[in-house]
Amino acid sequence: MQPFALNYARPAVETEAVTPYVYDSGLQLNVLFDGRIAASDQALLRELGTTTSTAGSKTHFDD
Amino acid sequence: MTVLILTGEEDVTADMVVVHLNASSVPVVRLDPADLTAGVALSGEYVHGSFRGHLSAGGRLVSVNGLRSVWVRRPGAPASRAAQPSAWLTQEAGQALYGMLRGSGARWMNHPDAAQRARHKPWQLRLAQRSGLPVPATLITTFPQAARAFAERFPDLVVKPVSGAHPQEPPRAVPTSRVAPDTDFGAVAYGPTLLQRRVAKRADIRLTVVGETMLAARKETPADADPGEVDVRFASSATPWLPAEVPPRTAEAVRAYLREAQLSYGAFDFAEDADGTWWFLECNQSGQFGFVEVETGQPIARTIAEWLARPCAPEEESVKGRRTVAP
Repeated sequence: MQPFALNYARPAVETEAVTPYVYDSGLQLNVLFDGRIAASDQALLRELGTTTSTAGSKTHFDD
Repeated sequence: MTVLILTGEEDVTADMVVVHLNASSVPVVRLDPADLTAGVALSGEYVHGSFRGHLSAGGRLVSVNGLRSVWVRRPGAPASRAAQPSAWLTQEAGQALYGMLRGSGARWMNHPDAAQRARHKPWQLRLAQRSGLPVPATLITTFPQAARAFAERFPDLVVKPVSGAHPQEPPRAVPTSRVAPDTDFGAVAYGPTLLQRRVAKRADIRLTVVGETMLAARKETPADADPGEVDVRFASSATPWLPAEVPPRTAEAVRAYLREAQLSYGAFDFAEDADGTWWFLECNQSGQFGFVEVETGQPIARTIAEWLARPCAPEEESVKGRRTVAP
């Protein structure tokens, strides 16, 4: 009784890894532990994939 | 006047835009509707023919009439992090917040009504056709026989979710996948199934449109790519995204699409075939853009910030007739 499309489903990749930044409500930005703005570190963003289009988001399907 | 950004704290892609707004000294209030009643507060008064509304978050207070734009980026469900969350409270909080904002006269990226409609893939396909974009033959059906007949006409097919949503219990992803010619289509009866002729692509195209600005990126399909790997989000290819030119006819059709859809932002996915034709796959009204900017260096975040920072034109304000204060 499983819908056809679910025959092609695979486990979602869990991204529970700890990110090396925290939200600063004063700045309204995420800040690295050394005080730099996380969004300014493009190498880090690339490495973490936090800005990447992904399938299987728990909260959003707008990839 | 202030830019209001509705998104979660962890949204680093939104940070990329906030950085540009800060650099331009444009006031920003960023909040997640999920935090309503637990860090985010609102109040609106409709008295003697006028409206005065306020939002507060993180120690900031902003007048609803003082908003120049609202960016609906990745908001959580309203009040979902309240002390005692419930479906009823989410409904109440959503009605209060978005209802108030709808009366503000601010410019939207994107308006909730347009966003809601634009999420429907069947609607997207029809609008793309009417706008002049090539659309691969597609069938959405619960009739197994219709699926079999479609597979006879178009033997090389892919299947993908109709909604773009993914099942959560347990969490699974449903990538666009190739369907073998001898597949049993019986299970089509158990859920609407979207089947589409596979485009033998030589590249994936992500076209990000911000207002009138188009920024296209192209990711070439390696010659030795696994033909079963059709969803670029799952592809293991290391080929980079590179900036690309938008063919004039495609640009014209995309403009028509966005005009009809009433969207100020759209992330289009195309498959480029061997002839160089861009086949429309979908337009995501809130598609990710950070990864494209990081790889290509295209100024998407800056372009979004500039769009959000634009003041309402005077005639726009008078037509809407809602702005009573000029902060």
